[in-house]
Amino acid sequence: MATVLANLHPEGTVYGEVGDSSVPLRFSASSDEYRVLRERAAVLDLSGNRLIEITGPAAVDFAQRLLARDVEYLTSERCMMSLVLDENGQVVDQVLAFGRENGILLESSCGAGTRLLEHLEEHNDEGVVITDRSADLTVLALEGPYAWGVVGRLIDGELASLPFESVVETDWNGTEIIFARTGFTGEYGYQMIVPIEAAAELWCQALEHAGAAGQEALELAMLEVRQPIPRHEATAGASVIEIGANWLVDVTKDEFVGREAVLAAFESGQGRRTVGFTGGDSIPEVGARVLAGGEDIGEVVHAVHSAGLGATLGLARVDAELAAAGLEFTVGGVEVTTLTSPYIVPKSWSIPII
Amino acid sequence: MTLDQLRAKAAERRQTCTQIKKMIVSRLDLEIEPDWITDDQPLFGRGLELDSLDVLELYVAIEAEFGVALYDSEMAVFGSVSRLADEVNPALRATT
Repeated sequence: MATVLANLHPEGTVYGEVGDSSVPLRFSASSDEYRVLRERAAVLDLSGNRLIEITGPAAVDFAQRLLARDVEYLTSERCMMSLVLDENGQVVDQVLAFGRENGILLESSCGAGTRLLEHLEEHNDEGVVITDRSADLTVLALEGPYAWGVVGRLIDGELASLPFESVVETDWNGTEIIFARTGFTGEYGYQMIVPIEAAAELWCQALEHAGAAGQEALELAMLEVRQPIPRHEATAGASVIEIGANWLVDVTKDEFVGREAVLAAFESGQGRRTVGFTGGDSIPEVGARVLAGGEDIGEVVHAVHSAGLGATLGLARVDAELAAAGLEFTVGGVEVTTLTSPYIVPKSWSIPII
Repeated sequence: MTLDQLRAKAAERRQTCTQIKKMIVSRLDLEIEPDWITDDQPLFGRGLELDSLDVLELYVAIEAEFGVALYDSEMAVFGSVSRLADEVNPALRATT
């Protein structure tokens, strides 16, 4: 699936296949786009995130059974992030769930829409109506310490200070859009779910106040605040506990697909755990062995060059008893140090919305 | 460092983190087991979804439990349990 904004993106835009989608990885240099995101305000083309609407009398019951967090009282003024799991507790996707008057709207992670849609349809015992809305809706986002200012200039300044995970339907340029305070990077973050025919105009207007950032810059900024990136972290066989995404699962909820498996993994205390690391200039490959005191204790799950740290930043999945910050390991012959999260402190944490 | 030394260092951090998690769950009356909170998950907004009132409660709790006053600290110290552990037990801080 290609972005609906493809004809607007600059000629040199580098696209990449992420799951079922072709998304802009970068429009120019990722490091520049990263700095825009971390220091000013970035506009993001999230058309790789699939929008799936669930409606019908049992829509909420269905969503409550399929999502790992509690969405029973998710009103149309709220959204929340949740994992969707299979019966074995494996991550199917990480979604943003928007409460709607007639059901619930799910936004998949980048490129995971097809898998999510199939999973929902396979589990549709309640007979709900599941509709892929990606033919008529798309998602644009703003992230950055001054993203709130862009909201003011673009739509309405009062929306900028909505509480986290609040949602409003608002009018933009004569078009009804869903506006939400969200955020993946620790910076001020907002999402706009817009009809496809209005997306181009909104994108162009946003570019007058913000810089475009691609998937590479976004994922780096997510990694830096330990926001799970399912396509990198949800490796085959890894439990939610090993990934460290417990906070996207509500075990106080009585029932949801995957609950027993997650609880069993938690209670066993077995397996590995994920920890961030930095060190060296080379980027280790996924699966590279991690050594501690000369012993093999695990492997690299994901690693990139962090423009913020000016060094390699990665995640390693290692023996639980060694998954802690402040330790020195060896990866590919290079000494690395494990880190406390967040690995970069978002600028938004010290900048008030005015 | 040898593997045993690394294990010992990790265990020290785990002990402090566990103490912080128990304190958070108890003080804020959360309905989860302390160990369900991971060392690295976000605490405010995303993650544990604590708010500014919770921060005030934690300032008091941390001073009572660890004898460390964080009132003038930046929000970054509440970035995660592991980051808080660095504040209440400076011996844990990474050397790099």
